[in-house]
Amino acid sequence: MWAEKYRPKVLDEMVNQTEIVSRMKNFVKDRNLPHLLLVGPAGVGKTTSILCLARDLYGSGYQNYILELNASDERGIDVIREKVKNFARTAAIASVVPFKILILDEADSLTTAAQHALRRTMEIYTRTCRFCLIGNYSENIIDPIQSRCSIFRYSPLSEEDVKKHLAMIAEKEKVRLVPEGLNAVFDSSNGDLRKAINLLQAAAATQGEVDDIAIYSVLGKVSPQRVRDMITLGIKGNFIEAREILRSLLIDEGLAADDIIRMIYSELMRMNMPEKWKVHISDAVGEVDFRLTQGARPEIQLSTLLAKLALASE
Amino acid sequence: MSDENLPWVVKFQPKLIKDLADNIEALNELKLWLKKWEHGIPEKKAAFLIGPPGVGKTVSVHILANEMNFDVLEINASDYRTRTRMEELIGRAATQNITIFGKRRLILFDEMEGISGREDLGGIAAINDIIKETHSPIVLIATSLTEENEEKFRPLGEKSIIIEYHSIPTLNVYSKLAEIAKEAKIEISPEVLEALAIHSQGDLRSVINDFETIAFGRETVSFEDVKNLESRDRKEFTPIIIRNLFAARTLLEAKKAINQAYIGYEELFDWIYENIPLIVDDPGELIEALEALSQADIFDRRAKMFNYRLQKYMYNDMTAGVALSQSKSHGTDLTKQVQIIVSKLGYSTNIFSSNETINGLTVKPTRYLGDSWRSVNDAFRLLGAVWIRGGGAWLIPYIRPPQLKWRYIRTFTSRKKMQSVSAKVAAKLHISKSETVKEVIPLMHIMFRNKENAASISEWLGLEEEESDWLHG
Repeated sequence: MWAEKYRPKVLDEMVNQTEIVSRMKNFVKDRNLPHLLLVGPAGVGKTTSILCLARDLYGSGYQNYILELNASDERGIDVIREKVKNFARTAAIASVVPFKILILDEADSLTTAAQHALRRTMEIYTRTCRFCLIGNYSENIIDPIQSRCSIFRYSPLSEEDVKKHLAMIAEKEKVRLVPEGLNAVFDSSNGDLRKAINLLQAAAATQGEVDDIAIYSVLGKVSPQRVRDMITLGIKGNFIEAREILRSLLIDEGLAADDIIRMIYSELMRMNMPEKWKVHISDAVGEVDFRLTQGARPEIQLSTLLAKLALASE
Repeated sequence: MSDENLPWVVKFQPKLIKDLADNIEALNELKLWLKKWEHGIPEKKAAFLIGPPGVGKTVSVHILANEMNFDVLEINASDYRTRTRMEELIGRAATQNITIFGKRRLILFDEMEGISGREDLGGIAAINDIIKETHSPIVLIATSLTEENEEKFRPLGEKSIIIEYHSIPTLNVYSKLAEIAKEAKIEISPEVLEALAIHSQGDLRSVINDFETIAFGRETVSFEDVKNLESRDRKEFTPIIIRNLFAARTLLEAKKAINQAYIGYEELFDWIYENIPLIVDDPGELIEALEALSQADIFDRRAKMFNYRLQKYMYNDMTAGVALSQSKSHGTDLTKQVQIIVSKLGYSTNIFSSNETINGLTVKPTRYLGDSWRSVNDAFRLLGAVWIRGGGAWLIPYIRPPQLKWRYIRTFTSRKKMQSVSAKVAAKLHISKSETVKEVIPLMHIMFRNKENAASISEWLGLEEEESDWLHG
């Protein structure tokens, strides 16, 4: 897939985040590394830069020295600790660098308690393992972890850089990407380069020429658009059909209930309605979100919310 | 007798704990109590297993006895006659806790509801005495207590730990039947199997008998066969329970309605949820009904986490809270819903004729539909319609069975593939699986429409052929 094919492989290939890249190059030169905390929006090069750093540091066999975990995929902190333990227990043999790197993505999704447990784990294995935590917001990382890490803040990519990159890919893949198409990709991906590239590749798969219509027809197939359809049906009072979409999202597409509620929330907040209504709706969504954290049945709780949306049409 | 000739209820009888369809909590409770006997005689010397027929009460005792090396001395309804007969049968067994083969003994009184007051004179009193004197564990089994026999069994109940068994959830019945169909090489579609499972009303033994009866000497079983089965109406059929519930006008009526149910409250919950929007059509009342059910859901969690005492509030919300939300709603207006669907499909409504029956609405095409039958069928299925092959019409029931779990079953293989594909994609793209499911997989479905693209991506990800087929199609 293009998102991977055109991902920079070494730090020298990275054109953005210049300040961070130059500091990372110094780590490579010194063959030393503090614990890292990389924060910033999605698709701006956080994971890419740490992977580049690892390749520069360890050479082509770098994969033997890193372990990538995703906090949202692992079942609880105990599983993570166990994996870290097994990985960090052995020193980095046959390497000039005496430590390995553990990359923990979506670290900001861990609960406070889990983060405290993680902090102890970090301390125990510091000699043989460096931790690189990645997340969207540093506020969600507890202070004791922040104070043990070098914090790197990634800035959003500029419109020019995103477009330049997409145009380069289009050229190499021999895709006719017209300016309207390029604008549409950029507008709908919110500066997330990975999302933009995936969108481009999907649009290019069906048509020779990628224009704005091609992009929007692809977007109609993805979950946020279906969530929008579901909300519209709910507001119109067509509960039965709204519930059908909810079921297809939950079951056929396998989306997690908290992902769905997150999308519902951001769609609703973006909609045109009296400001006071937004507060009411936020309240209703918040109540359902809370109930989900208490282990309530997702479909029933989300359904109740969908039925309540009909009130917004009055 | 060879295995082939055994009746299915014997042939497919659970032999190990893992074969049981449900009621594992009950089994664990029983096991804990039997374990106590390894360290002497516990305070309660009898266990009273109560639950509807065909849910695995007796078989769970035999499985545990086998696993824990007990020898079972079983007394059935036919043996409960008089005190003399019983004493004769048990003799000194109760006070000698080891058999001549060195095995510990367990005394099982099955089918206790068969003890009738007058005929089995003194039977209860005899059991009572045996419990007092026994050095061996005593297990008593009865189907759900009625007011009449509750009084009768009270003295025994006081001396026993009470272990409740519940009816087997339809979904588990479905899985068991599917296993049997596979082993017995019977061809049966998921829809027919579903109907059979619903027909079971949670009684696994009876439905295995039914299945054997209709499959006898044949290789396929059709919907008609299931429809022709006689209903064992010990209690009310679930759709009727749900209708009664929605018709209730007082708290008491609403609670009474579900007392007649054969299925457990968790399954009832799904039935109620499924049917709320079909019956409560006023938007404001729909919100009220769903909110009541949501509250019931919350009380269910609280009861499980903190105290079962809280369960009564759940029952009030899920029954009366839902039922009493209606005042302006019209109940099911299936005719109108069908009209909407038909015109949405681009047909004029007069190519279908419809007819109200006791069970629901029948909808009959007035001309040959050809290839478009399938799309009409898909649309009607949203209302819970089934195609009656002999009748050439759809039957749309007033009450619809819960769709959620069936949907899980039907999409099982597809979801398996999604999981394996997204794990591969997530690793290659360095993102989480949930991110992959949400953002990438929908786009990959589109990418895979292009053959070259599909081939190169599949190779790069190391996808199995069926995984790329899934993405393609």
